[in-house]
Amino acid sequence: MKKILNNRWTPWITLALAALFPFVAGAIDAQYLVRVGGVIGLFMLLGLGLNFTLGYAGLFDLGFIAFYAIGAYTTAIAMRSGVPAPFALVLAVLVTLAFRALLGLTILRLRGDYLAVVTMGFGEIARLTINNLDALTNGPKGLQLAPWRPLSFLSPDPNVQYYLMILAAVALSAVASARLEDSRVGRAWIAIREDEIAARLSGIPVRHYKLLAFTLSAAFAGLAGGLFAQWEQFVTPESFVFWESILVVSIVVLGGMGSIPGVLVGALVLVGFPPLMQWKLSADWINYRYLFFGLILVLVTLFRPQGILPSSRREAELTS
Amino acid sequence: MLVQQLVNGLTLGAIYSLIALGYTLVYGILTMINFAHSEVLMLGAFMALGLAALLPAVFGTGLVGLAGMFILSMAGAGLINVIIERFAYRPLRHISRLAPLISAIGVSIILQNGVFIWVSTQSLPFPEPVAIDQVQVFGATISTLQIIILATALLLMAVLHFFVEHTKLGKAMRACSDDIQTAGLMGINPDYIIALTFFVGGALGGAAGVLYGMNYGSIKYNLGFLPGAKAFTAAVLGGIGNIRGAVLGGFILGFLEVLASGYIPNGAQWRDVIAFTVLIIVLLVRPSGLLGEKIAEKV
Amino acid sequence: MSFRFAAAAVMIAITAACGPKETVVKIAVAVPLTGDMGTEGQGLRRAVELAVEEANAAKRFPYKLVAAPYDDRADPKEAVNVANLIVSDSRVVAVVGHYNSGCATPAAKVYARAPVAMVSPAATNPEVTAQQNSKDWMGPRMVFRVVPTDDVQGSYAATFAGKKLGKKRMALLHDKSPYGQGLAEEFKKGFVAQGGKIVSEDGISVGDKDFKALLTKIKSDPSKPEGIYFGGLYTEAGLLLKQMRELGLKDPFAFISGDGSMTFGLFDVAGEAADGAYLSIVGVPADELPSAKKFVDDYKARFPNDERKPFDHFGYEAANIIMAAMERAGGPDRAKVIDELKKTNHAGVLGTTVFDDKGDTTSKIVTMTRAVAKKRAFDSVR
Repeated sequence: MKKILNNRWTPWITLALAALFPFVAGAIDAQYLVRVGGVIGLFMLLGLGLNFTLGYAGLFDLGFIAFYAIGAYTTAIAMRSGVPAPFALVLAVLVTLAFRALLGLTILRLRGDYLAVVTMGFGEIARLTINNLDALTNGPKGLQLAPWRPLSFLSPDPNVQYYLMILAAVALSAVASARLEDSRVGRAWIAIREDEIAARLSGIPVRHYKLLAFTLSAAFAGLAGGLFAQWEQFVTPESFVFWESILVVSIVVLGGMGSIPGVLVGALVLVGFPPLMQWKLSADWINYRYLFFGLILVLVTLFRPQGILPSSRREAELTS
Repeated sequence: MLVQQLVNGLTLGAIYSLIALGYTLVYGILTMINFAHSEVLMLGAFMALGLAALLPAVFGTGLVGLAGMFILSMAGAGLINVIIERFAYRPLRHISRLAPLISAIGVSIILQNGVFIWVSTQSLPFPEPVAIDQVQVFGATISTLQIIILATALLLMAVLHFFVEHTKLGKAMRACSDDIQTAGLMGINPDYIIALTFFVGGALGGAAGVLYGMNYGSIKYNLGFLPGAKAFTAAVLGGIGNIRGAVLGGFILGFLEVLASGYIPNGAQWRDVIAFTVLIIVLLVRPSGLLGEKIAEKV
Repeated sequence: MSFRFAAAAVMIAITAACGPKETVVKIAVAVPLTGDMGTEGQGLRRAVELAVEEANAAKRFPYKLVAAPYDDRADPKEAVNVANLIVSDSRVVAVVGHYNSGCATPAAKVYARAPVAMVSPAATNPEVTAQQNSKDWMGPRMVFRVVPTDDVQGSYAATFAGKKLGKKRMALLHDKSPYGQGLAEEFKKGFVAQGGKIVSEDGISVGDKDFKALLTKIKSDPSKPEGIYFGGLYTEAGLLLKQMRELGLKDPFAFISGDGSMTFGLFDVAGEAADGAYLSIVGVPADELPSAKKFVDDYKARFPNDERKPFDHFGYEAANIIMAAMERAGGPDRAKVIDELKKTNHAGVLGTTVFDDKGDTTSKIVTMTRAVAKKRAFDSVR
């Protein structure tokens, strides 16, 4: 197994298989899985984003979903104002980055658990504000978007189209993360996470690097939010509750903090599991989905706390 | 109206304070946020409901029945918290800071969904063992229920204070809160004290759950989530790990919510935004909370 | 390592565990089956099952018809999830659902893309059908409903409050949901149009429990409101009523709300406090409809241990209307069923049902009821 994982062709083969999947899904009566795949992909993007904040920089963020919301709503409002869809996506990323940078400048000086509460608070502030500012966001009634179907030549089904677009986004994000991880910036983050004081004493401008990690996360969230909005053609505040933030944190920690393949697998397992159960089990068992989910969280944490696919550094840290 | 709102704020604040104490006690000793605390409080409420349903003659009527219901639910909630600590947190304590947190989240999900599946998916009416009247005080209509809630909460806080400040076990808890390793060297068994802390914290949470059920008349599987999150905010506002801070934070939050709903036009929907914004502002000025101490980091 | 294989094996096993496929045609029932709205959804499910069983017993169709329940938990995200599940099952010919307007609206978009018909027995917000007029609507018109909409309900309540109860100043409350806020806005429009004054407007959130501060503010409002109109569901309505009574707000201070609050669960939450609350329901309660007598009796015989819910007869009718369309269409063809549904002229428990060009029923009847806690019932108020 390890050989497969470490083989340099594995990610490309996985990508190819994933890209082919929606086209064979029709044959095996699994169109629902294409939709599930798209949702998993969105959470992979979110997980990769949070990985910067939590996995690399070690900052405990409980309100990440707020930026997913900001990305989604920016896209919706922009498209409704006439901005063409691709630009709306870019705008979503920029606006999200701006808000995140602002938040970071304000709160990053706070200590670990205080940061957690404040990020949680901001998450709620964002959701409630979106819910209350009817004039801008139409409040709980939500906003509808015009469809954007650039890949309609590949398939008439928007689920397939967006699955592929999200897959592309995930692939690009994974590559970008890997590049950053391997750079000076990435090594600085690891140093800060391992021992902040030592890092500072070595000359690393800790505050700047923390802010950088914190802010970059938002780009992924904004992109994911924009794609989500365009796919569903509808955004409401209810899609962005606190529980979703916790889900993303679980994906990163359970997948393996700071590990890109770990985050991807974490999203696959945690986000894929409930809909998979729903698809094939009888109605009576469906209510057990989340119970099993909770059980998985506890059991994986107890027996494999370093995560499903931890980075080698973390594996060494937690098992020796 | 002011008197009425003050009473509203006091009642709400009392409940938040009790819950916040549970968070702060556990944090003080383990620097861990017990995410499952909100479910412990929910279970306390359900245990009370169960007691009243099983033995309505004993627990369903009268002041004695009410007290009995309280004590048993508190004990039950405390015990549940101890069991959770033993099996879901203790094995992870030495591994990393985040692992117990994720485990706590998992436990929280299991408990909530467990009640959802095996007890009821809907709101269940909560028993009313004592007849509730309204009294008029200074132009405000105060229900005897609110008086009971406030009195019970204050009583419990006083008992906690006495226990922590004036008993040997309390001293041991304080010692572990300060420095668990040194406390261990002094002959205190840290695992035992940790379990005790979880018991006390859980019991307070359970009491809050019962009061919550009494105050609103009905309980549901997810009743713990919102008050838990708010009480956690209150604990941080006051300075997490600090007992007085938790009480202060709880009451401040209760009053803030009442002020927002009661005095700001169309304020009810901005209530939580105001609460969280105040939190952020307070933490910017006092990064360790209102009564929290600045902890020097050892290099 | 072995853990990973085990996890993968489990997932593959679940995926492979497909049941045998028989010739079965399904009518999906997409409603909340669990949670606070669960009792309402369970009632609708029973009503549809009753209709389907009667059809099977009378051998109306050459295949077996099944009512397939799907739980949307009254959550819009889950509703979309469920809609996708339904649409990917080719045996489903049409959908009875959803219950909540907030669920029906987004789910309808998913059904439109398939397309598969959705007949709602209870979603009353005008947007559910109105959204089909939008230029972004991705499919044919396939949304129908057998209940009058909130603009009818809201303005009826406004007329009732103003003319029947003689109220001139009301406080407005809603739960910020598409249904609740929509209904409250319709009430406001109607009330202001007849010269009434809306003294204050506030939104609460579904799941909130503490309204004391808000109610205290309303009670002490110098503009002296004579009542509250609440757009929302029974849990919050019940809590509001309970806390109102605790603060001393009772008759003649009125509490008026809509069909989302008019259900027996209100008595579970509020107990005695519910007494005297005014609640409107769309259409006429089944007990008072002569055309529904057989349904009421059959329901009681088939489900002797279950309380019949206020919307069950709408669910029964929705199922029958679908089945009538299926007969006219000559087979379980989704697109043909949609076309036939448009031409519905059905005489049944609700009287005669005809759909206008939006998909709404042409019947615009609303009934006002008053809650009687002792009897756990709602008496119609003429």
